[in-house]
Amino acid sequence: MSAASVRADDSSADPALPDPDPQRLVDSSLSYYHENGRIMAVEPVVNLSADFGNDETLGINVTFDSLSGSTPNGAIPSTKPQTFATPSGHNLSGVPQTYTTPSGTLGTVTSPIYTTLPGQLPMDPNYQDQRLSISSSYQKPLSRLMRVTMGGDVSYEHDFLSTSVNGALARDYNDKNTTLSVAGNAEFDLVHPIGGSPVPLSDYTLFDKVGNHTKHDLNLIFGLTQVMARRWLSSANLSVDRFSGYLNDPYKIISVVDSGGNVTGYLYENRPNNRTRASAFWENRFGLSRTMIGVSLRYMADDWGIRSDTAQLRLRWWNSDHNKYVEPQLRWYKQTQANFYTPWLTSMTVPSTFASADERLGAFHALTWGLKYAFQYGGDADVGPSELSVRAEYYTQVADNRLPGPGVLQGLDLYPGLQAILCQVEWKFGY
Amino acid sequence: MTAPAMTIERRDGGLMAACFTAMASPCEVLVASSDEPLVRELGSLAAQEAWRIERKYSRYRDDSVIAAIQRAAGRQIELDAESAGLIEFAAQCFEISDGLFDITSGVLRRAWKFDGSDRVPSAETVRALLPLVGFDKLRWQSPYLTVPPGMELDLGGIGKEYAVDRAHDLLHGRSAVPFLVNFGGDLRADRAAPHGAWQIGVERPDSEREAIMILQLERGALTTSGDSRRFLLREGRRYGHILDPRTGWPVVGAPRSVTVAGSSCTEAGLLSTLALLHGAEARAFLEEQGVRYWVVD
Repeated sequence: MSAASVRADDSSADPALPDPDPQRLVDSSLSYYHENGRIMAVEPVVNLSADFGNDETLGINVTFDSLSGSTPNGAIPSTKPQTFATPSGHNLSGVPQTYTTPSGTLGTVTSPIYTTLPGQLPMDPNYQDQRLSISSSYQKPLSRLMRVTMGGDVSYEHDFLSTSVNGALARDYNDKNTTLSVAGNAEFDLVHPIGGSPVPLSDYTLFDKVGNHTKHDLNLIFGLTQVMARRWLSSANLSVDRFSGYLNDPYKIISVVDSGGNVTGYLYENRPNNRTRASAFWENRFGLSRTMIGVSLRYMADDWGIRSDTAQLRLRWWNSDHNKYVEPQLRWYKQTQANFYTPWLTSMTVPSTFASADERLGAFHALTWGLKYAFQYGGDADVGPSELSVRAEYYTQVADNRLPGPGVLQGLDLYPGLQAILCQVEWKFGY
Repeated sequence: MTAPAMTIERRDGGLMAACFTAMASPCEVLVASSDEPLVRELGSLAAQEAWRIERKYSRYRDDSVIAAIQRAAGRQIELDAESAGLIEFAAQCFEISDGLFDITSGVLRRAWKFDGSDRVPSAETVRALLPLVGFDKLRWQSPYLTVPPGMELDLGGIGKEYAVDRAHDLLHGRSAVPFLVNFGGDLRADRAAPHGAWQIGVERPDSEREAIMILQLERGALTTSGDSRRFLLREGRRYGHILDPRTGWPVVGAPRSVTVAGSSCTEAGLLSTLALLHGAEARAFLEEQGVRYWVVD
């Protein structure tokens, strides 16, 4: 996420006086995320910010992710058992269970292979990743009405290094009832997949892999925040992304089946080297005496053929002392598929250009139910109240545009959905 | 002798392996089960049987049947039923192979030391040993055996395969779970693995622990014979360790390795060894036998 997002928080306006003793805020959270039968992730986040008053702030964010579990490899279920090698394996045809040898030795059979039972979605059970991300941002007023924000981010995974810089300019108009902003983010990533980057559309069993790749993302956001009425805040933004470079998922393959539905092989996926994405976002917040209502809509379109709509509703109910609230939320999402998305290939239609079976590029809709409970304590004239909150979300994803598989695949569920839960504890306090 | 160790490992594909060492080779029993006590029991059965056969037929032990035969030094001795069965099998092998497969050929090792050096023995040295080679020089009327003085028996060529078959039969009678017995690269599978065929790597002849191909084996035996790393090199000529018992010299033009599938390990082992002894004619020999085989040149 861009650290240059426009501040549309309902934070109170600070007195516009420089403060030699900055107000410090710690925002820390611990999240647990679990996809049904798949990945599990634990993510602690610490966000430190210092507010020097008069809109001058410095923030540092440290995020650590630890992921483990099973992740779909892109292949479809089959009526037969399917055996795969994990990316670190040398060669699919070089991962035997035991050896016959003339020398009297036995090969050390530690080869990482996994077998998927008939009817089950092929998933690499040994997925494991850790990510450490450090970002910082500095905001400073340029004039009474204008602010500039600058930031940077470094994120490291064992097969991925990402660096980005960002900047934003915001100006208030209309007695601070209107804010216009422009923000940009430039990201540079180094992709060095375990076992190498597979040659696109090459036969999976050949393990034809080459070295590392890079990718870039340039992002531009134009934002408008408008106080519509005393209790109505509206904000909108337009965002354009231009991705270029290696956009494949190096671990994703595509099943090749014959007309009878028998799997005859697997190919590595191939995506275009460029992607341009535009999105429009509009959010309205209505504050009633003890209730806040937030409604947001987002429309996204890219030149891969994906169109998506997101609608989100948030309600926040305060207690009479205004120190506790519950916040239910509901988010609906729907996307169309990328035009090169194909859940499988048939032996007759092996493509010469682009193909991916990554379910994230397929058509699906998703629903997220969430509930947050927070309670605030302390706080005085200098330091705002501290807040402790817990949040739970339940996510379900269902594939759209389902095609029946050929031949024997007809009876199989080739589009297993996804369910996930997220639990988060967050503690914000100032000092 | 202290109780030798056996370890249990968890393997991919829902398999467990019981690993131990016998007959100077690493051995393993793969079991398609996560029931560790069962895997331990099956592994232990196989290991006890392998160690028993090793003790009984080792050339290096004073209390082995082989030692007793050598000690008899020209006198007739009566063999127990199991030993008599093995000698009878060796007799048949000798006969059907026209003397190529010979358990008396071990004395040739006095002349040939396959240590990668260039120490190729002289023709005289080899010729001097030939009178001590030849199964037909034994007197064999089961169960009575007479080995002329100076001659030696070596069951190394069939002992390991025999042990695999024995262990297979024992485990087959004990449990209904799919398993595979592998003693130093000679293996036999009982029942197909739960997720289809067993995936057997054929070791690359020149590189340990790397598979040159993968064979799918539902059941039955696979053995591989080859001259992989045991050879002499002299004046650019490679002398593989497969010796023709009739000449005392290495077979010429033998493939690097021959893998044969058979219903039993003993049968497959005989054919893979014989194929190598046929040298350049290995393929033709295997074709005649009508067995599944894989040759690496």
